[in-house]
Amino acid sequence: MVDAAAAVVYMDPAGLKAIGAGLAVGLTGLASGIAERDIGSAAIGAMAENESLFGKGLILTVIPETIVIFGLVVALLIS
Amino acid sequence: MLKPKQMSRAVIVGHKDIMEATVEAIHGSNLFHLEDYNEDGSGLKLGRPFKNAGEVSKKLIQLRSISSFLGVKKESIPKQKETTVINELDSMLDQLDIEVSNKTEKKSELDSRLKELEALKKDISPFSAIPIDMELYHNYESIKVFAGTVKENIGSAVSQVTSTYEMEYDQSTGTVVLFVKKEDEAKISEILSNFEFREIRIPEISGTPSTLIADITREEEGIQKQITSLETDISSIKDKYSEFILASEELLTIEAEKAEAPVKIATSEHTFIIDGWIPDDQFATLERTIESATNGRAFVSKQKITNADTDIIPIEYDNPKITQPFQEIMDLYARPKYKEIDPTSLIFISFPLFYGMILGDIGYALILLALALGIKKMVKSDAVKPLMNVLIYCQISTLIFGVLYGEFLGFPLASLHTDHGIIPGLIAGFETITLFNSPVGGEVITYPIHRTHIVMTMIIATALIGSIHVNCGYVVGFINERRNHGFAAAMFEKGSWLVVELGIILGVLGYANIAPTEIIGIIVFLIGFVMLIKGEGAQGIVELPSLLSNALSYTRLIAVGLSSIYIASTVNLIAFEMILPQGGIVAVIGAIIVFIFGHALNTVLSIIAPGLHALRLQYVEFFGKFYEGGGRKYNPFGYIRKYTEE
Repeated sequence: MVDAAAAVVYMDPAGLKAIGAGLAVGLTGLASGIAERDIGSAAIGAMAENESLFGKGLILTVIPETIVIFGLVVALLIS
Repeated sequence: MLKPKQMSRAVIVGHKDIMEATVEAIHGSNLFHLEDYNEDGSGLKLGRPFKNAGEVSKKLIQLRSISSFLGVKKESIPKQKETTVINELDSMLDQLDIEVSNKTEKKSELDSRLKELEALKKDISPFSAIPIDMELYHNYESIKVFAGTVKENIGSAVSQVTSTYEMEYDQSTGTVVLFVKKEDEAKISEILSNFEFREIRIPEISGTPSTLIADITREEEGIQKQITSLETDISSIKDKYSEFILASEELLTIEAEKAEAPVKIATSEHTFIIDGWIPDDQFATLERTIESATNGRAFVSKQKITNADTDIIPIEYDNPKITQPFQEIMDLYARPKYKEIDPTSLIFISFPLFYGMILGDIGYALILLALALGIKKMVKSDAVKPLMNVLIYCQISTLIFGVLYGEFLGFPLASLHTDHGIIPGLIAGFETITLFNSPVGGEVITYPIHRTHIVMTMIIATALIGSIHVNCGYVVGFINERRNHGFAAAMFEKGSWLVVELGIILGVLGYANIAPTEIIGIIVFLIGFVMLIKGEGAQGIVELPSLLSNALSYTRLIAVGLSSIYIASTVNLIAFEMILPQGGIVAVIGAIIVFIFGHALNTVLSIIAPGLHALRLQYVEFFGKFYEGGGRKYNPFGYIRKYTEE
């Protein structure tokens, strides 16, 4: 029988860090993608009506970009 | 520099006799932003277009249709004298019209004949292998003709029903023609339907199919030749007249603009009133121009700008030439309002700075600099040029940061001694110099700065840069607010943020036992908080955490930069450490291909990623603190001539 506490000890901390960093970037990337999907399609729609909305559309689209930047920063801090 | 150009509201009043001369003078000066008049029940009516309007627009339409038929492109030509073009205009236009309409008619005739022949050929082609004159398919009293396709030879099946028939079958296309007696028609069609018979229309024409097709092909070739020679004629007409067309189109456009102008102007029975805007320093010029054009009979006056007007004042940038390319970036967002600070000069500093901080690579800077200079030289378009200038400024900044970071296409230039051994640099003998210890993360600041090794320090440094930038935004917001709503409003709306921040700093210093300011900090923070609620209401409380998230958002300056370095060094790793050591000429070629394509991809990303992120920091974090925008573009009534001169 393997003790659960002993099993934890055998996990490589570096590996866990890498998994954590990967999850931080990956999940926040997905989150940004999901958020930007709706904004982006609406922005393109608005631009089709009025080209001068490009600047505003761009800004609104990249606002959720911050989420993945935070993820990246967290990943850098972990590793 | 930090303000849009000063504008004056000018009103020009005169008798209708001199309206045409006045419009002519205003249009010629290209300075006056005409304000459209809306009928408001004051008794003044919109004017009617000048007498020549109909004729001018008719000619313009005629010319434009010819121009689009000939496919005249906008190109640079020697400037034509206006008087010569005007003198020639009518006769040339008639001549051109006759020549072109002849050609168009002929061309469309030939085109339609070509289509007809094509259709006929398609109809005949199933019969091509059947040597029967097409005439012989029609006009029988006692014979029924079947023509169509079947899936296999029906000869044996038909011969079981009747022996008196004539049949031709083309194996390759499955076409069958069958001549039978009228009385056998029903039986035969039953057989045919078993063989999936599909009727084909028989063209009404005489001659054997093969000769007919040969004839058609010959005629088609002839027509093609005629069309080609017509096209040569058309292109020679185009070459001959394109200068005239460009010049006269410009003149007619100018004339049409002038002729239609009265529909924007308020008129009474005998007078007209032109209302609009002009840069303050040009008012005297306008006054003089109109006076000399009308012998002083028109009255030009400067109106006082009221508060209600400030939203509709057209905005003309007033920036030194070096910062002008950044106006394009401002326009992408929105023009400033009249009483706002025009931040063009501010983003002239911060945008390239952030771009350079993110990219910071000598190799990419040189590639993109060459690219931008090349495009600027090749493309003459007015829309592309400012963007290329922005790119050039950004690359200069990238080059400076590249030298600071010591990076070339993802390779470190200097060698670095770490705990895990020596990381070799690209330049042999160039050693990293240790400067001082960073206060955080036990990291060491060196020259060149190895960004990948001092991540913690860089994250904090970028967040600090962010705080400074955001606070600049608050200061600009304070100035705007003070100008528009007075000191108190500015203090509550924008100053409160600075007080809150001061409170937080003092509190943190006290908490960290650096200075005994914990209590003072909390008090200052609360004062700032109350000011904020007074200034911005509940919204202020909601936005309070944005202080932190905005500053943290600037960590993208290092985060995006690191991702760019990692892509570049991964490309280098694959090319030089995974493929090249395989040995042989194939490995060398493979490594070169991977190196070129990898870095080409990263070069493209190097425009998009740092560009968008640097832009976003301006638009969201910086502009969000003070910028309103939404000013109207100053669009003077006039025309910039390209092809003609007076």
